[in-house]
Amino acid sequence: MKMSLNWLREFVETDLEPESLARRLTETGTEVEGMEKPCSRFSGAVSARIEKLEIHPKRKDLYVAEIDTGTGRAVCVSAASNLELHSCVPYGPPGSVLADGTKIGKREFDGIKSEGMMLSAEEIGLPDVADEFGILKLDPGTPPGMDIRKLLGLDDLVFDLSITPNRGDLLSIRGLAVEVAGIVPGSRLLQTKETFPSVGDWLGDFEGVRLEDPDCSLYVLGYADSVSIRPSPVSSRVRLCLSGMRPVSNIVDATNLVMLSTGQPLHAFDADLLPGKEITVRSARDGETIVTLDGKERSLTAEDLLITSGGVPIALAGVMGGLHTEINESTRVILIESANFDSIRVSRTSRRLSLPSEASYRYARIVDPQKAKPAVCEIFGLLSSWKAARPLGMVVEGSEGEKFPKTVPLEKKTLEKILLTDDQEMASRILKRLGFEEATVLKSRRVYRVPSYRPDVSIEEDLVEEVARVWGYDKIPSRLPLGTREPGDRTDRIRCKEALRGVAMARGYVEVVTYSFISPEMLDKMGVVGADPRARALPLANPISRDQSVMRTLLAPGLLKAVESNLRSGWRGPIRLFEMGAVFLEDPATELGVKENLCIGGVACPGRDYPSPWGKEAVDDFFSVKGDVEALAASRGLDVRMVSHEEPFGHAGQTAAILLEGDAIGYLCRIKPSLQEKLSIPEPVYLFEIDMEPFIKGEPARFGEPFRFPAVFRDISLLVEKEIPSEAVAWDIRKEAAETLSELRLFDVYEGEGIPAGKRSLAFSLAYRSAERTLRDDEVDEAHERLRENLSRKGYILR
Amino acid sequence: MSDFLDKVPELKNDFIERLKKAKTPEELQSIRVGFLGKKGKVTQLLKSIGGLPETMRPEAGQRLNVLRREMEALLEERKTSLEAETFLKKERQEKIDVTLPSRGRPWGGCHPVEQVTHEAVEIFASLGFTVAFGPEMENDYYNFEALNIPPHHPARDMQDTFYVENGLLLRTHTSPVEVRALRRWGAPIRIIVPGKVYRRDNDPTHSPMFHQLEGLLVDENVSVAELKGCLEAFVGRIFGRTLDVRYRASYFPFTEPSLEMDVECVACGGENQDCRICKGTGWLEIAGSGMSHPNVLVAGGVDPSKYNGFAWGMGLDRIAMLKYGLDDLRIFFEGDLPFLTGGGQSLR
Repeated sequence: MKMSLNWLREFVETDLEPESLARRLTETGTEVEGMEKPCSRFSGAVSARIEKLEIHPKRKDLYVAEIDTGTGRAVCVSAASNLELHSCVPYGPPGSVLADGTKIGKREFDGIKSEGMMLSAEEIGLPDVADEFGILKLDPGTPPGMDIRKLLGLDDLVFDLSITPNRGDLLSIRGLAVEVAGIVPGSRLLQTKETFPSVGDWLGDFEGVRLEDPDCSLYVLGYADSVSIRPSPVSSRVRLCLSGMRPVSNIVDATNLVMLSTGQPLHAFDADLLPGKEITVRSARDGETIVTLDGKERSLTAEDLLITSGGVPIALAGVMGGLHTEINESTRVILIESANFDSIRVSRTSRRLSLPSEASYRYARIVDPQKAKPAVCEIFGLLSSWKAARPLGMVVEGSEGEKFPKTVPLEKKTLEKILLTDDQEMASRILKRLGFEEATVLKSRRVYRVPSYRPDVSIEEDLVEEVARVWGYDKIPSRLPLGTREPGDRTDRIRCKEALRGVAMARGYVEVVTYSFISPEMLDKMGVVGADPRARALPLANPISRDQSVMRTLLAPGLLKAVESNLRSGWRGPIRLFEMGAVFLEDPATELGVKENLCIGGVACPGRDYPSPWGKEAVDDFFSVKGDVEALAASRGLDVRMVSHEEPFGHAGQTAAILLEGDAIGYLCRIKPSLQEKLSIPEPVYLFEIDMEPFIKGEPARFGEPFRFPAVFRDISLLVEKEIPSEAVAWDIRKEAAETLSELRLFDVYEGEGIPAGKRSLAFSLAYRSAERTLRDDEVDEAHERLRENLSRKGYILR
Repeated sequence: MSDFLDKVPELKNDFIERLKKAKTPEELQSIRVGFLGKKGKVTQLLKSIGGLPETMRPEAGQRLNVLRREMEALLEERKTSLEAETFLKKERQEKIDVTLPSRGRPWGGCHPVEQVTHEAVEIFASLGFTVAFGPEMENDYYNFEALNIPPHHPARDMQDTFYVENGLLLRTHTSPVEVRALRRWGAPIRIIVPGKVYRRDNDPTHSPMFHQLEGLLVDENVSVAELKGCLEAFVGRIFGRTLDVRYRASYFPFTEPSLEMDVECVACGGENQDCRICKGTGWLEIAGSGMSHPNVLVAGGVDPSKYNGFAWGMGLDRIAMLKYGLDDLRIFFEGDLPFLTGGGQSLR
């Protein structure tokens, strides 16, 4: 909401400097987002009257005007074609400055010297004020020599206010004046006299207004004839522009100015274009249509409230007027609607049709029914003074309601409890300044009457807020809450995240947070399609872009995209990223039908063309990343295993499921070389993702017995089918070995020369140890020999 | 006799000369044999003591034994230093360039929002708040209606909502968890809710996804003073110093009264008219807050005549931006390594 300070000052008197007023408004809840001096660079221009007008003797496209500048005569050359003898114009003498900062000087046009220039609205800095192409014409009769800034009302300050949705009353200058009078001590509301007396009889054969829907509680209709459509006075057009609206014509401008002044939206119909002899307010019928002022045909539903005449829709109540009854150049008689519509009804229609307007904005924030009649009086006064129309009368259908429709109590103990003050007098003073009235005064409580323009106040807490915001929150001390009932708990979930983060960071991974919405194309690229539940990513109904249009069902797309974009923007060298966040999967068994799984995902890639003095040793591969996954699990006291597995995006030979006690909780893979190629990533990419749920609880740290006796070491080397997992072999060894086998470690894997095709050699180191005594060599030899025999019997070839 | 004793210094000098020239353990050994061995010069001399007159024998024996011990000691000393030299020589051959880059993986990194979240949780946990969570994909009831925002309430315009085709929405704030937590645990309660929220917004200071930290305290006889106390304690800790704060009245449908907390600009302290961070106002919005609206308590199944409380919501991304002096929020969510690792120097 743009607020002209000059306009405000017509209604409230305050000594406060603009900066202080801005601060006060801000601290009491109406944030001043900016303050602007209109057309701040424009200066030095005065009004002038054209006394003589001729075509340039040598240049047919130029005019030479002799003007009265108030202090003398000046000659101006202009190319504008709208100049008329005796019209009043803004004149910039040499030395004056235009809105864009251009300094005006003297200039010669083919032998004729132009002393300064006559100005257009654009040169002043208000292009919208122009009503025609060319020089801006001032109101007829404007005396020459007057300061244009003052004349046009540019000696003003415009506040940009952010009005909270509960304060519809502040969407008007008069409402703001009431607020300022309430929040600024020493300020005074100025009594404005009724600008137009109650008017006489209803004329013509108009049959009146019928309200057929309770969502229109009040309909005031003003009636005026002798309309003469012209631009409104220049200073009014300027005021509209400063308030952020475009001037149109005197009638439309008057409805807008009065709306800005009172907060009551007004709409003018051309009475001669009304299809019927009455106006009826009713619900629309499904499928009914109306062409609105913007020229668009709107299809309606029973939700919408309509203004009709002769059964034909002429306006969408509170949203926008109809095109066919629009004010036009030949309008002679007008009807002015000043009505009260239900806020929800209006906002629903405005939203459904995506048709926001100044009117619907105000109705959605509730318009005070008490304003409807005064608004008609005000526009009548304005139209009369502009000689734009002859007001004849108004009809009022429905109820204006009460000036104080409700009462709200304020207990002394509530003030004490919330604001730590028992000063009821102070509270009362504040509320009265804001327009509330005391209904009952008791020792323990007072009851206040709430003015009609404050529908937002309905419970005691609302009164507490009114008191607090004016009194000042700085008057309330700060203190920490006492009486903690139990210690604060970061919870297992936070502790788990922190533990995993610590491990990941220590192992060289950088934490990323990527968007929860992803591109469906990425899932396609990854081959996550068809029956895979992760292919059913939940789509957003109103995404910002297709790239961010479905909810992620796994973390991989975000991680891969980050790798891709880092490489694209020139990152060389290893990339290791991890993320912890939710993925979204359909699940009818849950409260909302969606399961949000907290997952940890990671990606590692050697990067691009980045040799290191350490060669291959420093390069990530499947097994280095496997170690990372194991470390993550270990940090929560858990052991995970990997088994060969398949993922649509995983390398057919290098993909594992991550198992925890036999259950798959995630995957680890090298991504398919074809996917790697699609993403233009030059080196292998390793990717893992784990459901964090089992990690959250975790297991307590385990500690063991120290070694009390030395171990005896033996090796064993087996020739096995390549397809047999080394872990399966290790299990067999453990199963067949004596109890004294304490540690088993694979130390060599060999295939190639000397090994038959399709086989490989696995060499293990075994430590035999007893918890009771030192083992003798011969005991160990015997146990080891027995193991070899057992393995041999199982079909292993011992080397 | 003097003949005999004259040989002692001679022998000693000879020994020291040879010792000096010895460069290897082998040479040391041959010196030992040459002087102290069975046929060594000192041994020979000792053997010849028998030929001396009886009165001179004790002194001669003593002098020779002293010489012998001295030689032993010198030999040992020389041996130790020779060994040390040998090791040293070998070590010198094994010299490395200690400025070569380290092997293995460098330290990773923590996301700025997660870092700030971690600190915020620590601070509020120390004030007795327990962490609570709720779904990011919410229904209309918890995100709006339970928070005193009925359908078509103009406050819905304050937040541009992402809707999901299944009829749910992406929560626009962490506030839905207030009602969920009240329903689950009842009053009294002290919770904080860090988490992702979503709004249909995209510019350098707004991202369609960002992070909030909600706080809720419900108890008997709660005042604005405790709300201020909690927020100020947080601000002091997270920025590491006491900052000036101010409170402004505001409006949130789920709090009444509602107030907004600003802190003095962490960049300029209100001293710079052209400050990019506070836009010359000297103040930064940190948290929206207020006393919980009775309708919210009722929605949470709590009796507002017995309990009251306060709540706040703060943007963690914004706090991270202020704390670390960052000015583009969107880069937070692009996984950009130079950004996340402080220029990438630490990664090799």
